[in-house]
Amino acid sequence: MGNLFARGLGKALLSAAICATALAATPASAEMVINRGFGASPDTLDPHMNFGAREGWIQDDIYEGLVASNDKAEMGPGAAEKWEVSDDGLTWTFHLRDGLKWSNGDPLVAQDFVNGVIRQLDPKTASPRAYYYYSTVKVVGAAEFNEKEGGDPKTVGISAPDDKTVVIKLLAPQPNMLYLMGSYHVPPLHTPSFEKFGGDFIKPENIVNNGPYVMKENVPQSHVTLVKNPNYWDAANVKADKVVYHVTEDDQTELKRFRAGELHVTNEVPSDQLEQLKSEYGDQLRITTYVEAQYLSFNITKQPFDDIRVRKALAYAIDRDVLQNKILKAGYQINCGYSPPNDPRYQQPHVEECDMPKEERVAKAKALLQEAGFGPDNPLKVTIDSTTDNTSKRQAEGIALMWKQIGVEAKVNAQEFQAWMDTFYAGSWEVLNDNLVADMPGPESHVVYMQPSAESGYNWKSDEYEAAMEKASQQSDIAQRYKHLAEAERILLDYYLTVPLNVTTSRHLVSPKLKGWEDNMLDVHPSKYMSVEG
Amino acid sequence: MLAFSIRRIIGAVPTLLALIAISFFVMRLAPGGPFAANRKLTEAIIANLNKAYHLDEPVWMQFGRYLWGLLHFDFGPSMKYRDFSVTELIVHGFPVSLEIGVWAMLLAGVVGIALGIVGALRRNGVTDLSVGIIAMVGVAIPTFVIGPLLQILFGLKLGWLPIAGWDGSVNAKILPIVVLALPNIAYISRLMRGSMIETLRANYVRTARAKGIGARRVVWKHALTGAMLPVIAYLGPATAITVTGSVIVEQIFGIPGIGRYFVEGAANRDYPLVMGVTILYGGIVILANIVTDVARGIIDPKVSYE
Repeated sequence: MGNLFARGLGKALLSAAICATALAATPASAEMVINRGFGASPDTLDPHMNFGAREGWIQDDIYEGLVASNDKAEMGPGAAEKWEVSDDGLTWTFHLRDGLKWSNGDPLVAQDFVNGVIRQLDPKTASPRAYYYYSTVKVVGAAEFNEKEGGDPKTVGISAPDDKTVVIKLLAPQPNMLYLMGSYHVPPLHTPSFEKFGGDFIKPENIVNNGPYVMKENVPQSHVTLVKNPNYWDAANVKADKVVYHVTEDDQTELKRFRAGELHVTNEVPSDQLEQLKSEYGDQLRITTYVEAQYLSFNITKQPFDDIRVRKALAYAIDRDVLQNKILKAGYQINCGYSPPNDPRYQQPHVEECDMPKEERVAKAKALLQEAGFGPDNPLKVTIDSTTDNTSKRQAEGIALMWKQIGVEAKVNAQEFQAWMDTFYAGSWEVLNDNLVADMPGPESHVVYMQPSAESGYNWKSDEYEAAMEKASQQSDIAQRYKHLAEAERILLDYYLTVPLNVTTSRHLVSPKLKGWEDNMLDVHPSKYMSVEG
Repeated sequence: MLAFSIRRIIGAVPTLLALIAISFFVMRLAPGGPFAANRKLTEAIIANLNKAYHLDEPVWMQFGRYLWGLLHFDFGPSMKYRDFSVTELIVHGFPVSLEIGVWAMLLAGVVGIALGIVGALRRNGVTDLSVGIIAMVGVAIPTFVIGPLLQILFGLKLGWLPIAGWDGSVNAKILPIVVLALPNIAYISRLMRGSMIETLRANYVRTARAKGIGARRVVWKHALTGAMLPVIAYLGPATAITVTGSVIVEQIFGIPGIGRYFVEGAANRDYPLVMGVTILYGGIVILANIVTDVARGIIDPKVSYE
């Protein structure tokens, strides 16, 4: 009897299993849909809060700035069809296109762009990226308006003399202005919906957009769906009806979804499988140099890192070639300067040890350490603070290993990102595994960031650096500006406040069905230019 | 029984309050704050952010503010996912975790109990041995291994199921439910087998047999209820864990549940989010324990409500 019972149960289980695997295919549809991998769920899609690059892809699709990026990350006309700069480079005047509309049919006017900037700067908004208007671009009155509540928006140097003109006044010329004005950095604000819904104006049920697409759905941890905006001025040239950004937190799952054809393009490619994927996918695997530089920073307020001989010795001991090609193997590019070298017009200064043969480098490193009073009886002890991110940790551990070879007792302290940040602010670190992503091509984002006046966390003050930066900021001619920026970068490198390591890459798998995807160093990919074939 | 349940629910209030207080203060002991990104922020901007989220106030004042919000069912804003309040994130995510979790526990319960009975009835036979091996494998192989393996088999090789994603279709739910259920199937079947073997040897079962009751009836009517007790004791807390989501299963299958918020909330120092999911989880554990106790009372004559 027991046997019979058990057999019956087995059968029931088997049929349940068969039922569970009975499947249906995804229904085909006539509309053109682009499925893009997105990585982790967006932090925010608020156009005046976000400064994540991935969230920027969605911003670029649903909002259009005065100027906008094309598929090659070149800036050109957006909502404004033309603009002029005054001779002193301080006044920019943008002229809007005729008949611009928001997605709900409301007219899009110059004041909407002014309101966007004011909202971003308003201390009550508490936007983490308010600094955009007073760091690399210095808009008149922006810093003061952001610092204290209750300021007068009229004191900020942006105005709309009429419905079709936006005028921006700067404290110093900025030849890269368009890059900073472009795309998602300066999105307009649909004032009526903001007044009605407050911060909730970005919810899909409330949102009004002015870009090629409108946000239709935003499901946390799942997907963001955009549909074509019929009121967009260039709607006739927008090919796909729908763009879905899928949350793909796990890069292995993302890869499988790409393999199964569920995604047209991935956000990331697992870095430990690059070689294999290259041979498997050929030119579907796109590895492009990105505007992020990775480097080590020394805390010069701590002994013995206030001694340049110690900083230099540690810098000399690093073998960048081994680090990139044997340890990281992430397709990164070796960097010998502080900024990422991506503008051919810029003569980037290099640290001297980059061109030295290994023996000479190591010998000099040992000699410098000895000079600074360290040796086998009195070894130098160093801790590198790194995040727990896999690649960063591997990098820090590789460097620690190289330092051990010159007799330094090096260890790595890997912490969660937030704790690592806290360590930075508290100033309790010795050596930081550091990085910075630029807002535009060229060296300026990086060298401005290291200005002692702009960033207090590094505790570095240099009058020569400030003087060179001041000179650079007065130049509206790019060649002249770059000359002074190079002087500043030279001063920074000679001081060994940082040790340049590498420039990172963006990595995507792009299906041959997806047309109009262009690799570019800013990793900007407006869906407007894309279509799906086959 | 009703009086018992009400007493237990009232008794749970101090537990929940203690949970809220401890989590609130312990959370703030962790180094770091919620507003760090890949760029260090200027002091003015950090000051603006702290002010907007009341982080510039003393901690006891923040706690008071938080409790006041809770009384109004307001869990506060998420500091990481700024487009949503914690309530919204839970309202979006919890039904998904609950759906997958309930199905997974049902599947685990039915299959696990069935396998356990089969194993016990055919003790030390080939069937028992193979069920035992499968169960051990199920317990030993972690979900982050079995999940991707099933994705490769059913998603890539056979092409029957989507790899990941959540479109509300039944197909998208199958793999995550199975993966969540597997370790529970394994555990429940072992538990059930052991308990069933013991019960079949119990005096009251022997008495039942001696009275000439048929084997099927002995198993179903007499042995099964008694043997279920340890399984029910396990099901309570296991269900609470499963319906609040698994960060691993959610990441692998791209499921928009709340499991990841326990980990991500903590890693990002998103204080309100961590508090929200902790309170939810605490509430469900308390509820599951009460339900378990009530169920044991119904099944086990030795348990009284007094």
